Amino acid sequence: MTTGTSRRERFLFTAYALVVLGILFLPLVTVTLASFSRKRYFSFPIRRYTLDWYDKAFQSLTIAELVRTSLTIAAIVTLICVVVGFFGALAYARYPWRRRKLYQKFILLPIFFPQSVLGLSLLLWFNFLGIIPTWKTAIVAHLVWVAPVATLIMAIQAYGFDRSLEEAARDMGANGWQVLREVTLPLIMPGVISAGLFSFLLSWGNFPLSLFTTGADLTLPEWLYAKMVSGYSPLVPAVGTLTVLGVAVLVAVGVSFVWLIRRRGWKG
Amino acid sequence: MTGTASNIVLRLEGLTKAFGSLIAVRDVDLDIREGEFLTIVGPSGSGKTTLIRLLVGMDRPTTGSLYLKGERINDVPANERPTCMVFQTLALFPHRTVGENIEFPLKIRKIPPAERKARAMALLELLRLPTEYYGRNVMHCSGGERQRVALARALAFDPEILFFDEPLSALDFRLRKALEKELKDLHRETGKTFVYITHSLEEAMVMSDRIAIMRTGHIEQIGSPDEIYSAPVNRFVAEFMGEVNLFPVRATTDGRLDLVEFAITLPAVGVALAPGEEGTLMVRPEAIRFLAPGETADCVIEGTVFNEYALGSRLQYNVRVGEFTISVEKLREDRYLGALGQATLIGWDLEDARFLGGED
Amino acid sequence: MYEDLRRTGILCSLPLLILLAVVFVAPLLVILGFSFMPSKSFSLLHLPTATNFVTLVGAGYYKSLLWSLGLSLAAVVVLLVICYPLAFAMAKVFGPFTNVITVLVVLTLFVPDNIRLFGWVLVLMKGGLISGGLRALFGIEMDSLLYTVPSIVFGLVYVYFPFMLFPLVLGISMVPDELRDAASDLGASRFTIMREIDVPLAMPGILVGGMLTFVLSAGAMAESKLLGGQKVIVMADEIETAFTYGQNWPLGSALSVILIGLIGVAAVFVLKRIDLDQILGKT
Repeated sequence: MTTGTSRRERFLFTAYALVVLGILFLPLVTVTLASFSRKRYFSFPIRRYTLDWYDKAFQSLTIAELVRTSLTIAAIVTLICVVVGFFGALAYARYPWRRRKLYQKFILLPIFFPQSVLGLSLLLWFNFLGIIPTWKTAIVAHLVWVAPVATLIMAIQAYGFDRSLEEAARDMGANGWQVLREVTLPLIMPGVISAGLFSFLLSWGNFPLSLFTTGADLTLPEWLYAKMVSGYSPLVPAVGTLTVLGVAVLVAVGVSFVWLIRRRGWKG
Repeated sequence: MTGTASNIVLRLEGLTKAFGSLIAVRDVDLDIREGEFLTIVGPSGSGKTTLIRLLVGMDRPTTGSLYLKGERINDVPANERPTCMVFQTLALFPHRTVGENIEFPLKIRKIPPAERKARAMALLELLRLPTEYYGRNVMHCSGGERQRVALARALAFDPEILFFDEPLSALDFRLRKALEKELKDLHRETGKTFVYITHSLEEAMVMSDRIAIMRTGHIEQIGSPDEIYSAPVNRFVAEFMGEVNLFPVRATTDGRLDLVEFAITLPAVGVALAPGEEGTLMVRPEAIRFLAPGETADCVIEGTVFNEYALGSRLQYNVRVGEFTISVEKLREDRYLGALGQATLIGWDLEDARFLGGED
Repeated sequence: MYEDLRRTGILCSLPLLILLAVVFVAPLLVILGFSFMPSKSFSLLHLPTATNFVTLVGAGYYKSLLWSLGLSLAAVVVLLVICYPLAFAMAKVFGPFTNVITVLVVLTLFVPDNIRLFGWVLVLMKGGLISGGLRALFGIEMDSLLYTVPSIVFGLVYVYFPFMLFPLVLGISMVPDELRDAASDLGASRFTIMREIDVPLAMPGILVGGMLTFVLSAGAMAESKLLGGQKVIVMADEIETAFTYGQNWPLGSALSVILIGLIGVAAVFVLKRIDLDQILGKT
């Protein structure tokens, strides 16, 4: 740590961090609170509490359908992004080729674009190609934003390891495929898992891209938004809270997994 | 110890490697004998690592040819050559056990597990590592132990030639000294050809059958350590081989040598020189004596002993003659007995001096 | 072999490049094409015209543009001030606590934006957490805090907080501790150190964070809708309206092109100045 950080300074920094974190999570806490309200509309403080809305959430067929749609999209997006991004990350960080620097910057471009504009442009593009938007086209839309992120995460991991490891494996007789499987992949594995986690969650929670490209189908975030604007009931925060919980569990599992791999290595 | 001259295992002919306009290896001709311990020494940037990478197959030469036992292998990729390199960073697979590392080349070749393990155990024994290390994570081993694991791994698939890229440079002095000797012992025990590169001359002298000195991509001289030490081919090699005194000389009209700085003339040391031709006379510090009164030598110079340096079992002296400094080295029992700052006579015999050509 | 490595590198890059060509570049080209089509047409088979761009200036769309840019700039400045101390602490002071913070912040990123913003609606609205709480505890009556310009900026600051924080952390961690210690040893005060060493050396991180948040805010739509109640119409809003209610694809495309153009300029400006290998390789 740096010099000159007195205990008082540490205390101030920690206090600041806690305040910021508190503000960061305040809306989520409020949403959870709102899900317990018996009344249809939210007013604070809540006079009467109930868990009925959670009941409704679990029993609703609409919601089950929405979850299924969102999950399917997220799963496929994750699969594609991790595979494509893995090779993209290798190209990003490990191989010396001519246009690499340009490639690095180009890959990042989609992240900077407003998602609504991206979604709309994809809508026009589908229309141009004569494709009708369904949940399948939403997959394509998510790829635009998620693939660069996944690539970036794996690239960061790929920067880390010793080039001579691959060379040594080659020298000892391994062919290209064996090097990839026995050396490269195990070393990038923490990045691969993080990228998978990110891809899944970013796709699962995405709204702007889905809004314009799912057509008649709906994802969970789309439904939530529609209900927020008109037709609000505490079902919305209930579902929202469940979403947050699901995300938290997934992140916890993912992070522990990555931590474990970093310490013990990936045995393949 | 060394293979006979007819047993050439690797031949380099006119090997050149250029990276754009930078020529890293320039027209190298070399015959590596089977079973020898050859060390390539040179300063940073002399092209040693590039050369080794060409031999191992990590890079392709720009021009020139490489022959392994008579067969041209320019286009054979690294993973098909019967060679193996021990990297400077060792390149051990982290998070894997010692056993997994050693068995890697065997696993690649689809050797069944039981056989692999047997071979790994045999190698652990050869490298004097406890057999319990088989299951130990490689990151939990000490520096010296990791060296041995790297060696075991390199030997696992029985390569013809082992290459070493400065593997000991990151270790501390004692460990390095111990491992140098172990490497030489290993060479004896396995009988394989070792090609070693380092920037440390000391290391080369300890371990090698032959030494090749490299400068800016080209081999200046190659020979046994003794040969190079006593008969360096030029000034660069002479200076590289250790502390040495170099006197500029000029041939006189009557076939003798003028020591330019000292107004002394010597008979020519069996070298045919044109009158007026210039060159360098090399005299090793150990060859110079402090002359007792009445003692003579072929060449005598008067100077002042400026300082004494202790080098373990030897002592080194700075003797100043005007603006010139001469190095004298003596064993402890022959130490200089006079006072520092005093004028003294030093001298050497012609047979201990060697003439080197003009500046190259 | 060096040459083989280069070839492998190019091969590896292809899947991603092809994907982006089809999913990213092509649609943008379509938008570009549409922006030159006659108003309210739905196919690209017309003669190019610049009417949309003329409408843009004439009909006052530039106001939305200025609002978008202004709000974004405000958000960037606010974020810089808020995030810098925390980023500094995370990079230099906290140690393992940094990872905890990172995970928690990343966690919020995965919750859909509209849920998070909705939470703020619940907090800020009349009868919501703040207003209702004040009334219950102190009997103070307060109006809704929503539907103002500051609330929109607040929304932007909240949503894009991580995008300023993490680049800053990365940038600050690139400043070697030794330099700071040496400067201190030579007599420099805390502020001098910050001015002469911290900020210049962390500049890549600052630039990336600033640019990222600016660009994302400029294209944001949900904040102005949910928290601003359409008090201010931002560019992204106009674009959506043009495409949906307005049924005017060419106009929407033209607006998009302008927005993308501005964003692109900012992005390129910053990307040219940084070396990604240096930043990412240090992680």
